[in-house]
This record gives sequence, C-alpha cells and structure tokens, in this order.
Amino acid sequence: MRPRGHASHSPALQSLLAAGVALLGLALAVGAYFIPSNAGYAGVGPNFLPWVVSLALLACGARLFFKARRGGFRNMEEHTGEHPFWAGFAWLSAGLLLNAALITTVGFIFSCALCFVLAARGLRLAEGQAAAGWATVARDSVVGLLIAAPVFWAFTQFLGISLPGLTQTGWL
Amino acid sequence: MDVWNLLLQGFATAGTPVNLLWAFVGCALGTAVGVLPGIGPATAVAMLLPITTQVEATASMIFFAGIYYGAMYGGSTTSILLNTPGETATMVTAMEGNKMAKSGRAGAALATSAIGSFVAGTIATVLVTLFAPMLADFAVRLGPPEYFMLMVLAFTTVSAVLGQSTVRGLTALFIGLAMGLVGMDQITGQVRYTAGVPELLDGVEIVLVAVGLFAVAEAMHAVLFEGRVVETENRMSRVTMTLRDWKRSVPAWLRGTAIGAPFGCIPAGGTEIPTFLSYAVEKKLAKGDDLAEFGSTGAIEGVAGPEAANNATVTAAMIPLLTLGIPVSNTTAILLGAFQNYGIQPGPQLFTTSSALVWALIASLYIGNVMLLVLNLPMVGLWVKLLKVPKPQLYAGILIFATVGAYGMRQSAFDLYLLYAIGLLGLVMRRFNFPTAPVLVGMILGPLAEAQMRNAISIGEGSALIFVQRPLSLGLLVVVLLVLVVPRVLAARHRRAPLR
Repeated sequence: MRPRGHASHSPALQSLLAAGVALLGLALAVGAYFIPSNAGYAGVGPNFLPWVVSLALLACGARLFFKARRGGFRNMEEHTGEHPFWAGFAWLSAGLLLNAALITTVGFIFSCALCFVLAARGLRLAEGQAAAGWATVARDSVVGLLIAAPVFWAFTQFLGISLPGLTQTGWL
Repeated sequence: MDVWNLLLQGFATAGTPVNLLWAFVGCALGTAVGVLPGIGPATAVAMLLPITTQVEATASMIFFAGIYYGAMYGGSTTSILLNTPGETATMVTAMEGNKMAKSGRAGAALATSAIGSFVAGTIATVLVTLFAPMLADFAVRLGPPEYFMLMVLAFTTVSAVLGQSTVRGLTALFIGLAMGLVGMDQITGQVRYTAGVPELLDGVEIVLVAVGLFAVAEAMHAVLFEGRVVETENRMSRVTMTLRDWKRSVPAWLRGTAIGAPFGCIPAGGTEIPTFLSYAVEKKLAKGDDLAEFGSTGAIEGVAGPEAANNATVTAAMIPLLTLGIPVSNTTAILLGAFQNYGIQPGPQLFTTSSALVWALIASLYIGNVMLLVLNLPMVGLWVKLLKVPKPQLYAGILIFATVGAYGMRQSAFDLYLLYAIGLLGLVMRRFNFPTAPVLVGMILGPLAEAQMRNAISIGEGSALIFVQRPLSLGLLVVVLLVLVVPRVLAARHRRAPLR
C-alpha cells in the first residue's frame, strides 16, 4: 500500500519495536521471578503485579509484532518530515548528556548554558541556517547565561531548592 | 456543614495577598506555556514540582491549578493564530478558528474563546462546588474493591478507548505500570526492579517521566523532523465581538458547557470526545448563512462551543481528582503527584482532613477564571508576541527548565541521564503513535491500584471473588467490560453496514 513511506511505517522497524516491547516484558518477567511472594493475608504478594505487567507486555509485544507483519500498525498519523536530521540530534544529545556529566562540577549556570548553546546549534542546523558561526555561538552563550542565571537565583534564593553551584556563594 | 460557609472560608484563604500572587503567577505562566508551542501544562507543572519541597501546600496547589487552567486559555490563542495543530484539546478550535483568522476575524475568534472559556469554567466550578462534597460523602462508603474497579475503569478508558489503537494504548499503560513498580513496595517494603541502583529505591520520579516524555522528547522530535516545517501566522485584528457574534456565541457556550462538564466528572478523561461532540452539535444546529461559514470563512459557533466544552471538561475533571483521587489526564495525574509530595492522598477523606486546602483550591478556581479573562482579553496582544520566539532558543530554553525540574527534585545527576533515556522513549512513542497519557496515569495510579487490589483480596480472605460479590464493584466491572466491548461491536457493525 505504501511502499516508500515514513520510517515509522516500515514493517521492519515496527517489528523491531514490537520485539523490544516483548523483550521488556521478558526482562520484567525474569525480575518478577526473583521477587519473593510473601503474600500473607492478602493472598497476593509483591510479585503479583510484576507478573501481570510482564505477561501483559509480552502479549502486547506479540500483538504488535503480528500487526506489523500484517500490513503495519493501523490508524497512524501522518508525520511531518521524512528524513531524520541526525547531525542536529547529535548536538542536542551532546548538550543534554554533557549537562548531566558536568552539572555537579561546573555548576548549574555554566552547565545549562552549555546545554543551551549545543541544543540551539543543533536546532539551528536543523532549520538549515548555514550559520552557526562564532557570532551565533557567542550570542547563544549570552542568551543561555541570561536564562540560566536568573533561573538559578530564583530557584535557589527564593524557592530554597538546592541546585549545584560552581562556588559556595549561592550566586554562581 | 454548609457548603457556602466553607466556600467563603476558602475565599478568605485564597484571597490573602500571597495566595492571590501565587494564583496570578500561575495563571500568567499557564497562559504563557499554553501559547508557547512545545510546552504544555503537564510539562510546566511537572518542571515546577520541586517547589513542593519548600512552598506550603495550599499556595503551591493554587499555583499549579492556575497553570493548569491558564494553559487552556493560552492554547486557543496559538491554535487560532498559528497554522499548526497544537495540543489535542485545541485541535477542534483550530478548525474553525483558523478559518476565521484567515478571513480577518482573528479578534472575534479570540474573544469568543476567552469569554466562552470563562463562562464554561465558572459554571463548571459551580458544579465542582456543589457536587464534589456530595460525591465525597458518597465515596467515603466505597471500599478497596470498589476503588480498585474505579481505577481499572480509569486505566481502561485512558488506554483502550481514547486514542487510535487499543494495543498501543495498553502497551503504553503497562510501560507506565512497570515504571510505577520500580522501588519499594508500599505494603511489604519489598524492593523491586532497582537493579542495585540506590537512586531507584524511592522509585522513578514523576518529574523525570513527565518532563522526559514531553519536553525532552519534544525537543528531540523538533530537531530530527521539524526543521523544515514552515509556520505561518495569521494577522491579528481587534478583539471585539459584534452583537450578532454574541447572539451566536452565547447558546454555543452553554451547549458546550453542558456537553463538556459531564465528561469531566466521569473517570473517562480526555477532552477530545467532548470537543468533537460539541463541534458536531454546533454544525448540525447551524442553518443558512451560519452553516455556510463552517469550513469556509469560519463559523464562530465552531470556536465558541468546543472552547467552552474544553474548559468545562478540564474544570469538572477536578471532581474525580479531588473526591476519588483518580486522575484521567496527564496534568491531573501530575497534580495528584503534587498532592502526594505533601503526603496528602486525594480521596473522599480530603474534604474532611484537608478541608481548608480543598476549599481554598476551589475558591481559587473562581478567582483564577476572572484573572484569566483579564489576562486573555485586553492583554492578548502581549501573549501573541510569544509566538515570535524563534524555535532554537525556545526548545533550548525549555531544556534548561527541564534540568531544574529533573535535578531539583532529588539533587542527583543520575536523574539527568535517566531524563535523557526517558526522552528517547518518548521520541520513539511519538514517532510510532503511542499515546503518552496512559504512561503517566499508569505510573502514578498503578501503585495505588495495586495497594487497593491487595487490600481488597485481604478483605476477601485471599479470594478474588470479592470483586464480584459486592454489587457496586460488580457493576463497575460490567462497565469496564462494556467500555471494552461496545466500541468494537459498533465498529464491526459500521464496517458491515456499507456492504448491504
């Protein structure tokens, strides 16, 4: 019916996804096996729901696999964008993962500003802005700092939520 | 006790300068996130959940309710002015609203949706005031078997009935339930699925799942697929309505409210059905010139009705949330999480144990509606400017707030990695059309449902027959089965009919 459609309509990918769901069910079942049942008065113990969930996910995985093989998932929305832009995704991922890696060492403000710059660069490239030269990077850095710093102050000083700083002053 | 007395006390609590300020900031923030594409009320409330560790319960619930409400007002602005479908709740508004805006009547569309939201919101709040305490009185008599069945009903409707595919909905629900399993079991303290990671002993934070599934996944989707999507914006016009607009809007608002409110009350969630229903009703009732406007230059009833239905549903959804503790949408699920952070379990006892909080919250709904009318009618031009924020900065900025929410809850960098992983999950789910609401509802309601089920079976002395021995629980079980079977039968008959 749709020989060359969006990737999400490809039977191979859909089957893979179904297999993933089933695999998750299987992993949960292995986990459920090791949960002691000590049911007490209840008749059902802490391992009951884990078994239900893992068997249900196995069943869902099987059903999804069946559907994927028989002409694909039904009622899929039409998606925007045919070709995923992986380069931009890499920049965005780098921003998020570096943020996780650095936040406790360089502090919230700098870590988040870096995440902002990297993510914005990825999104700019996705929009086809040839740019992303040094001027843009500099501007994004400033904007990132201008967002991250007030956010940091508002949450730490006024709302008393502790976020990591570079120094102990509470302002940086 | 007299409802009006309690409500007046609520107004006294909600009317203190500090609480008014929280309500105002909530409404303004809610309108902003409603207007901004890429971030909705569920994400915004989730990101701000860390404040529950510091801010007093009443203030923060008033604040969150303001965001929840405000986003509904703001969302319609975007769907009328921007030619991209926003959140599902406002999809219907966009159908006629967009056409009106294109034919130079953006102002009238904005006005009817703001005033309609106010009318419907206020009427629905009156219903909450009157019926919530009554339902709470009744719900006190429900035992664990009935509660468990109500939760099963909520699971069924949110996963199997709404959305395009039952299997995908159920898969999402069970993924959510699996997430809810991580950590210590409520009844026995047994540790489950932590894989030896100490951070997982307390379970997976709601903030992480909500922010990961919505904000991070949204940014990932934008960078991968939406780079070349060109958005066009419709021209604004003066925000006024003619006498004829009023005459056509008022009945539509009232009909929309009448359709929307009942849908909010039942644990069957979602605003899609009532808004579409209201649209269909308005189109059916329209005659002559008005009917010709549908789908061509844009009919004002087609905006007024669904907007009112939307707000009535959203407001009335507070009834099952407060009296039964059962959330049926993303945002109400997160609101339930916020209550839980305070050690408060919404349910029938809430009206006795946290009476001051509940009535202040209800009073703040009245106050919030008035604030939102002012924020969205005379000041609509201010919000429209938000549509001009360029996408790269918008999404990158959202990620900063996502970090605050994810890190601020537990001060753990591990959570930021988990956030990324959940973002990936959300991306895959979005790409393959899996609904996300069942994940959140399953994750938050799952542990509660499990506890109710085990208590119920204890009452039945180890026998699951307890669920069919009690009349009310049996009745609910039948409803669950009907909800699952009837749509299938109807669809099958529908498929066969054209062949004859």
